[in-house]
Amino acid sequence: MGAIANQLGITGGLLISQIVNFILLLAILRVTLYGPVLKMLATRRERIAQSMKDTERVSAAAREAEQEKAKLLEAARREAQEIRAQATRDTEKIAQDIRARAEQEATDIRMKAQADAKTQVETALSDANKQIADLAISATEKLLGRELGNKDEQQRLVEEFLTQHANGGSAR
Amino acid sequence: MESNQNFLQSLGASLGRLAQRLWAGIDAYIKADTRRAAIIGGIIVLLVLSFIIRAPQPHVSLKAEPILAGGPSWFTNSLLTTFVVDIILLLVAFLATRNMKLVPSGLQNVMEAIIEYLYGLAESVAGRAAATYFPWAATIFLFVLVSNYTGLIPGVGSIGYYHNEAAVEHAVNADSQLAMAGGKLILAKPIAAEEATAEHAEFVPFFRAPSADLNVTFALAIATMVMVQVHGVRALGGKYFKKFWNTSGHGFMKGINIFVGILELVSELSRILSFAFRLFGNIFAGEVVLATMAFLITFLVPIPFYLLEVLVGAVQALVFAMLSLVFFSMATISHEHSEEHH
Repeated sequence: MGAIANQLGITGGLLISQIVNFILLLAILRVTLYGPVLKMLATRRERIAQSMKDTERVSAAAREAEQEKAKLLEAARREAQEIRAQATRDTEKIAQDIRARAEQEATDIRMKAQADAKTQVETALSDANKQIADLAISATEKLLGRELGNKDEQQRLVEEFLTQHANGGSAR
Repeated sequence: MESNQNFLQSLGASLGRLAQRLWAGIDAYIKADTRRAAIIGGIIVLLVLSFIIRAPQPHVSLKAEPILAGGPSWFTNSLLTTFVVDIILLLVAFLATRNMKLVPSGLQNVMEAIIEYLYGLAESVAGRAAATYFPWAATIFLFVLVSNYTGLIPGVGSIGYYHNEAAVEHAVNADSQLAMAGGKLILAKPIAAEEATAEHAEFVPFFRAPSADLNVTFALAIATMVMVQVHGVRALGGKYFKKFWNTSGHGFMKGINIFVGILELVSELSRILSFAFRLFGNIFAGEVVLATMAFLITFLVPIPFYLLEVLVGAVQALVFAMLSLVFFSMATISHEHSEEHH
């Protein structure tokens, strides 16, 4: 055994020194290399997981916002449509109102004008009647050459006659 | 006489024509693809040079040799290279972790990739116990990998000097050495002391790949197998040793169990041998192959072997680390438990 070991160049001292060397190397590398690197790997894994979770959350939020937006848009559109329809209806109504009022006013004005005309005609007529009666009386007085007594009575008679005549004339 | 002369003349003329035609062919070939022609020309030149410039006879020594003539015998070239490997690894560890960033680059990235791969390996073999086994396997891998590759650095194994005084000591030390003789590997007769001092000065390289030294491979193997026992005892307590001395059963079964225990013991010891000699054999043989190839044909031919050695170096490092992981996790499996399963 010893002879073989010697031929292969194996010596106890070198063997032990190599074992010690390896264990020292292991201890040092464990502290200086494996520890920090594994920690860094763990940190990175965590970070990536976290950021992926964040991404998912953000995209979920975005999706929600999108839905919310669509809903809002739909509601707004519906509302706008409603408002438009209402406005159209209102406008029509107002136009109708205005038209009705205008018509009403026009009618009123016409009626008033008619009434005015009528009163004016009546006034004119009555004035004319009165003048005619006066003329008739004065003409009669002139014809008779004297003043008629009971002037009031006579005037009333003339007027009555005229009125009847006018009525009869209009009836004819 | 005259006809002879005529014949010689016509022969010379036809030879001249042949040479002319050959040259025309070569010329056309060069013009067709200059780059290809240059490569092929370079290869031919190198191969021709290989027979003019000869590499020296490869220095093949099974043992690691003391560097200093008359110095301490323990200060071998592989020990020196071991220190170099240590320094390289410590430097790498320092540089890789000096300024760690969350977004890695450069050396940090390389070491992270290697360590993550090894940790994944440990996890795939050992599962939850990976964190316990990982540092050992990783150190084995890194140390063996760098050790293997030091043997491939030009100058390692070829730069050294001739011992004259040491030759006497060597002759005593080296009872018989593997040596190259005429391209054949032979177990050389011990060099006679006077002959050695006279002419055969011993060439000793400064560096030698640590994994081409049995001291190193045995050290790794023994330490690993001791560690296997430690992990076994840690996981199973005293029950672990039942594996080696199992007296359960009755009659014939008892005999079989004891025999199996002895087999277990033998297999544990043989693992040390297989660990040590697998690594040593692969790396040492690789170096001998490279040296021999360079000796036979100096240029070009060694290149594929060199690439092969690069592969072998990585594979052997991985195998050593992988097997230590496997043995660690095997030792923690209760033997009784596994027998129930059978």
